[in-house]
Amino acid sequence: MYKPRLPPSRRLGHGPTGPHVPACPAAGRRKAAVGCGARHAGTGSTRHHPHSSARSHMEPHLISSAVYMPKDTPTSRRHGTTLGGLMAIEQSPPGRLQLPLEAPRHGQHHAVLAVGRGVGRAGRYHRRGGAVPASPPLEEWCRPPAQRAERGAMAARRVGAGCWQRALGLSLSRRCRLPRGPDSYRSSSSSPALGKTVDNSQVTQEEIVLPRRKTWDKLAVLQTLASTVKRDPTAAHYMFQDDPFLMPRNAANSRLYSLSKESGRNAAKYIIKNFPQYFDKTFAEPNIPCLMPETLTPQTEGVSEEALRERIHLRMVKESVDMFDQLLQAGTPVSLETTNSLLDLVCFYGDGEPTPEKEQEEKGDLEESGVNASEQKAPKRQFQRGSQSSGPRWRENNHAERIFKIMPEKNAHSYCTMIRGMVKHGAYSKAYDMYIDLLNERHKADVHTFNALIRAVPYLKERFVERWELTKDLLTHMAQQKVQPTLLTFNSVLKSLRRCGGVGRTMSLFVLKEMEALDIEPSLASYEHLLSVHYKGVDAPSSDIISEVLNEVENRSFTAQDPDDANFFTTAMQVCCDLKDIKLAYQLNKALEKGDNWKFLDVDRSNGYWSKFFSLLCMMEQIEVVLKWYKETSSSLFYPSPKNILDLLQALDAANQLEMIPSVWEDVKQLGFSRRQDLLEEFLSLMSRDQHPSEIQQAFAKCAEEIKAVHEPAGPGQVPLEWTGSALGHVVVLFSRAGRTQDAWNMMEHFQKINRIPTDRVMDEFLNCAKQTNCPDEAIRMVKLAASLGLPLSQKLKSRTEEEFELSETQKKALESIKWDGDSSDSDSDSSDSDRE
Amino acid sequence: MAAAARGLRGLPRALSVPSAARQLHCSAVCLKARAARVRAGKGDKAVTYEQAHAPHHIGHRKGWLSLHTGNLRGEAGAAQRALEDAFLRRFLAGTFPGLLADEAVLKRRGNLLVVCALLGRALPPHKLYFLLGYAETLLGTFYKCPVRLELQTVPARVPYKYL
Repeated sequence: MYKPRLPPSRRLGHGPTGPHVPACPAAGRRKAAVGCGARHAGTGSTRHHPHSSARSHMEPHLISSAVYMPKDTPTSRRHGTTLGGLMAIEQSPPGRLQLPLEAPRHGQHHAVLAVGRGVGRAGRYHRRGGAVPASPPLEEWCRPPAQRAERGAMAARRVGAGCWQRALGLSLSRRCRLPRGPDSYRSSSSSPALGKTVDNSQVTQEEIVLPRRKTWDKLAVLQTLASTVKRDPTAAHYMFQDDPFLMPRNAANSRLYSLSKESGRNAAKYIIKNFPQYFDKTFAEPNIPCLMPETLTPQTEGVSEEALRERIHLRMVKESVDMFDQLLQAGTPVSLETTNSLLDLVCFYGDGEPTPEKEQEEKGDLEESGVNASEQKAPKRQFQRGSQSSGPRWRENNHAERIFKIMPEKNAHSYCTMIRGMVKHGAYSKAYDMYIDLLNERHKADVHTFNALIRAVPYLKERFVERWELTKDLLTHMAQQKVQPTLLTFNSVLKSLRRCGGVGRTMSLFVLKEMEALDIEPSLASYEHLLSVHYKGVDAPSSDIISEVLNEVENRSFTAQDPDDANFFTTAMQVCCDLKDIKLAYQLNKALEKGDNWKFLDVDRSNGYWSKFFSLLCMMEQIEVVLKWYKETSSSLFYPSPKNILDLLQALDAANQLEMIPSVWEDVKQLGFSRRQDLLEEFLSLMSRDQHPSEIQQAFAKCAEEIKAVHEPAGPGQVPLEWTGSALGHVVVLFSRAGRTQDAWNMMEHFQKINRIPTDRVMDEFLNCAKQTNCPDEAIRMVKLAASLGLPLSQKLKSRTEEEFELSETQKKALESIKWDGDSSDSDSDSSDSDRE
Repeated sequence: MAAAARGLRGLPRALSVPSAARQLHCSAVCLKARAARVRAGKGDKAVTYEQAHAPHHIGHRKGWLSLHTGNLRGEAGAAQRALEDAFLRRFLAGTFPGLLADEAVLKRRGNLLVVCALLGRALPPHKLYFLLGYAETLLGTFYKCPVRLELQTVPARVPYKYL
């Protein structure tokens, strides 16, 4: 970064404000200005050369920072060159930073210009995260200004035109933090200093591009260090211990271990809750509230409004309702706000309790049968509909409705709460009726209520057009009631449009344009709804929305603003898979790496996301790339699903690299899929399809042996898998090719047990094997088996045995004596397929 | 006591006087140090590296089991750390009964307490994770500081030699 070397004698005197500095309210505020400048607390003010103007008025265009050059003293020099003070800068031709390096004449000072503005702006920008403040010259050397910066620039110019002084004053008063050394600025001018500075005034106007001072936030060092470390492809998720025994190898174990850890935490919390007296010493300075035991028991006793409010605060739904009833029975009026907050509580929890355990605990304590019945129903409903709704369903005449009815006065808040509670728990038509009541009472609904109502629209009307009309009506009401729509409003609209078919597709783009017009940045949920509208359930996508969405997403780091944000990445990856486009998937991965976007994928969603990505890879990419991704991500980022393994096997088959199968089998064993019939079939058929060189055959035979072991009873509680004919045949083939005759024969005997018949190919292979290993006995036995099964092949087998083997006399006799009742059933066995599967 | 001593000086040594003073009797046998030493036996007792080395080897052949800044000059809290260590070791011995293969190492960084324990594999991993979550939360709330447990499992206790 260029640090201007300020001439030592540069100093700006404190003289009377000449004609150059008009009406400078900063005259009195110069000290403050200096204060402002030197410390510029991370505003990024640049250090410019001291600049004096011979002109009679200051241009209103201001550059962000002015560096005030203090008097020529060692300390001032230091101040000038290191922190700098603030200096006034004038800009003669707009658009360029003029640094004439002229001496301040007549000891005039240079007011701190809207450094104030600049500083203030810069400060504000800095608070917003470093967008560049605005004036044109700065844009040259600064980072590309953000949109806001440009708007700020215009604002700056607008402000500058008239009121730089005011801005100056504002900002100056905001930051006056210069360490006020006595020498940092001096009122009197000294002639030698002036003399020196006069010389320098000859310097021509040159333009120096000065970079802005960089500011770092507190975590910058840590983030830089973190960026040097890439993901470790051998490590499991951070929440697991780094130990081979404790590392989960498959998805089931991963879930089990994380849940066990969580249940351990819950056990500890149970103990802390029940014995708070051992944990309530506060010796940490400062006190850490989250490590103290929670006081969940209400302190105020008795029946009063404060007690009611306390119970509401502690989220004790049933007690609050009871207390409210008691208060009403006793005749004490309950204020509107308290009733409203009780209504909030009951509507939020939908008559259930915050935690289901409490419900079951309290079931025993209940005496009132009515409440008892209602609460007993609630947990059941929760289990049934857990996936659909966020809680129990709204029942007729539950507490919320009852309280609402007996409220003497209701305000808009009461209606709004009721509507939101009803929508949350599925009573959509009631919510709409309540909204009509609200309109009749001439109340105004708030933005959250409108969001809830818009979400309820798909359940209120059937036809797409009607749904869209109703949404538009609600939005019009919103405009009439002067309720400003927010991001969530538009997300609700898009969510409803998901269920509006073709209408939704056309309208969703208009909704996006509206958002842009209102200057609301779409969140990931908006994009997710957009993708669902255009791509889900549509065979031929009509538009190329996905690439535009990805272009938008990959440049931004999002924050969580909507609960539906979390579904974006999985939906987008699903769309990429449906479109079979690997480039989009890579782009999506890049988007995931940007900034904070990784936070949107929790462990379960991450598994699904990477699983889909891997399937897409297997379909679309070369085998080397597939294997590279497999090795890097397999057990660390996601756990392959059975479908992934099948896809991988197909990819290996397509690339003719079947020798990798034994290693894939090892992974499958680790993943716990070794008992899945479809996977086993696939493995065996791929291995036994072709002849391979002998080491590979041996490896295949070992796999076959392990697969065989799965089918056999092993240990208590292990149910052996049933053999299928094809599997058995493949195993025999594999054993035969590896020369393991005895094992092959053992397998052959299984055929009878499962009532299947070996195929011709199997028997041929077996005979080959017997020939190679020179076991005529086995051959004879096989011929016997074939004959007993009445296979048409047995004749051929017999003749083959006679020809190819060197048989002893006994063996020849044995072979001769084999009777096969094949003659009569030859025709039958033709029809009875020996390749039954 | 001083008076008695003076009195004794006056008497001839041959006479034994029932003295009021306590006399220190130092014998070579009782001088033996017994702290943290495993005595040699028949050769069937497996000892780990930690147990096999006596305390005078700390800093030379052994490291420290508890690392904190309380013992540095100008730092306070050494006694509290020692007490916490004692409690933590008993707590771990009780929470992971029979599983600890060696002494746990306790490290303090800032206010973070890292407990590095070596466990055997007698329990299945999900039970170990349960105990892990339980211990971390309970100790954290008890000592009002974040506690992290870093476990490593070994198939069996690793003997260094047999004494």
